[in-house]
Amino acid sequence: MIGAEAMIKCLEAEGITKVFGYPGVAIAPFYEGLYNSSIEHILVRQEQNAGHAASGYARVSRKPAVCVVTSGPGATNLITALATAYADSIPIVAISGQVSSELLGRDVFQEADMRGATESFVKYSYLVKDPDDIPRVFKEAFYIASTGRKGPVLIDIPIDVQNRELSKPFAYPESVSIRGYKPEIKVNMGQIGKVVAALNQAKKPLICAGGGVILGDGEGILRRFCEKFSIPLVSTMMGIGVLPKKHPLYFGMLGNNGKPYANKAVVRSDLLIIVGARLADRAIPKPENLAQRVAIIHIDIDTAEIGKNLGPTIPLVGDVKDIFAALMQEEIRPAGQAWIDELEDIKHSTVDPRVFSDDWVNPNLLVQKLSEKMDDDAVYVADVGQNQLWSADNYVMKEGRFMTTGGMGTMGYSIPAAIGAKMYAPKRQTVAVCGDGSFQMSMNELATIRVGNIPVKVLVVKNRYLGLVREYQYNTYDAHYEGVKLYDWPRYDKIAEAYDMPFFHCRTSAELDGKLDAFLACPDACLMVCEVDSEDRVK
Amino acid sequence: MKGIFSVLVENKDGVLSSIAGLFARRGFNIDSLAVGETDNREISSMTIVSTGDQRTIEQIEKQLNKKVDVIKVRRLSEQKCVTLEMMLVKVSCSASTRSSLIELCQITGAKIMKVSPKYLLLEYHADPEGVEDFISLVKGYGILEIQRTGAIAMEKS
Repeated sequence: MIGAEAMIKCLEAEGITKVFGYPGVAIAPFYEGLYNSSIEHILVRQEQNAGHAASGYARVSRKPAVCVVTSGPGATNLITALATAYADSIPIVAISGQVSSELLGRDVFQEADMRGATESFVKYSYLVKDPDDIPRVFKEAFYIASTGRKGPVLIDIPIDVQNRELSKPFAYPESVSIRGYKPEIKVNMGQIGKVVAALNQAKKPLICAGGGVILGDGEGILRRFCEKFSIPLVSTMMGIGVLPKKHPLYFGMLGNNGKPYANKAVVRSDLLIIVGARLADRAIPKPENLAQRVAIIHIDIDTAEIGKNLGPTIPLVGDVKDIFAALMQEEIRPAGQAWIDELEDIKHSTVDPRVFSDDWVNPNLLVQKLSEKMDDDAVYVADVGQNQLWSADNYVMKEGRFMTTGGMGTMGYSIPAAIGAKMYAPKRQTVAVCGDGSFQMSMNELATIRVGNIPVKVLVVKNRYLGLVREYQYNTYDAHYEGVKLYDWPRYDKIAEAYDMPFFHCRTSAELDGKLDAFLACPDACLMVCEVDSEDRVK
Repeated sequence: MKGIFSVLVENKDGVLSSIAGLFARRGFNIDSLAVGETDNREISSMTIVSTGDQRTIEQIEKQLNKKVDVIKVRRLSEQKCVTLEMMLVKVSCSASTRSSLIELCQITGAKIMKVSPKYLLLEYHADPEGVEDFISLVKGYGILEIQRTGAIAMEKS
């Protein structure tokens, strides 16, 4: 057996049935292996999108997904997707072909030092020099990607290693032993005791849930915990979906792009329980001020997150499910109704000063109606820009998934990620919502959708500008709009026609119901454009 | 404050650059770094000395621990460990200043490795502070070249 065949065997042993990729000579032996295997290859139209598609697949399947690229430019094109997955802790195993090992370091054709280049964007990386290492490397890569704080792992394999015979029979290891990597963490009952004491003392406890709750499959237990002890919850952008939007204990997304009442809830609270959130600048701009006012419990699986941006009163390291399972057993006095009522008052007294014109589609209404009309378990992928913030702000969470790239904010994420999500869960309605800027960063993937008959729905919130930068220029540079105008192109009807897709065009809010119904009812992949006033802002 | 870290790592290619990269990326200082194999050839030991506020030093420890190739991180307290640094230094001297320089070497315990008409090549080892002191002592003669190993450290207990 040669290295490439061993790679396929490893993927099969991991239960991988689909890989997203883009071939080249340096990875050709692996593709020959794919040809002879039952693993389905989905050809994307640019390598970055192979990474994003794997990200979408991994997030819905909650298991590591695989992308494959060739050496040099193929591999460097993937880096943005790796950085995106790393920032959002998404488990991906990325395989890159590499030039022949005896040529490494000589700057030959299509050589790029991928281990060096991705050092700060992956959880771990391998350069495989011996085909006998392939089973161990793959086993470790899947293990590292999917345990502890999840993340992307890169396997860089020179073409000669793919072609060389293994010197011993193939055997996929049953277990992993890495001296420096022990991700299992036992819940520290001493710290649990402190958390319980703090909760019993608090009059106004508030949970702030981040993406880590979803990554750790902790939505169910956290919801039961909130309900059992009547503790209200706000979320970060990555934590949207931990509680349904209409849940009586949910008080919205916090942060400078979030709901003002969610931020007020943080200010009014006397105990903040942060779960699976790294508290970056967009969520809490001045964490040190906050830490002076309220007691903070910080729960995370990554020790290094605790104290990185904010010094907590009580740190608690571990798996979200284990921790809340332990907390559910404790005697905790439920938070009083007065606190919930106070938050309700704040919520209902917040007035939105923005006015939206009837001549265009109101983007807030668009997201509300769209998400309300979508199936209960639908997958909604928001791209980056104003469309993302309108989505995060107005999305009506039911039992589905809201996915976006919160950490890196990578434009062009939504379409390939939706492809990945749909490839895992073909029965779930999947909608990619993007702006006219982000659409044009990955509209080449409409070909992937068409060719693969992947019924992903793409909705473009079109305002003829790079809206979020425009809004920044409006607020910061006296409306000096520079480099942000997209004009009226492309002609979306023609784009849809070029890919043989049904097209829906919505010009005003009054048309929304009818057009959205038709868009969602369409059984095939389809494109919809909503015309939004370029003056509309996210706040 | 000063942070002295004794770090056991896998003796594999790419590990040193990954550790150094971690410091660069997160804006941590490396005052000195010394690496060598341990009695187990698969494992190397690094001594990293860094300065920063308490939060930075804690973050360094946590971030080092996160690295898959890092087997163990120990933060050593300055008081409870022996630190040692070695230095080679060429100190300029003439016939008239040579004898005073030799006398200085005898007092400080610096070893004379080579004598030439224009300089003495000296070897000196001490804790990093002692090395600094020695440098200031010989500075007046004129330092032609200097090589320092960086500190290595070990807990006394």
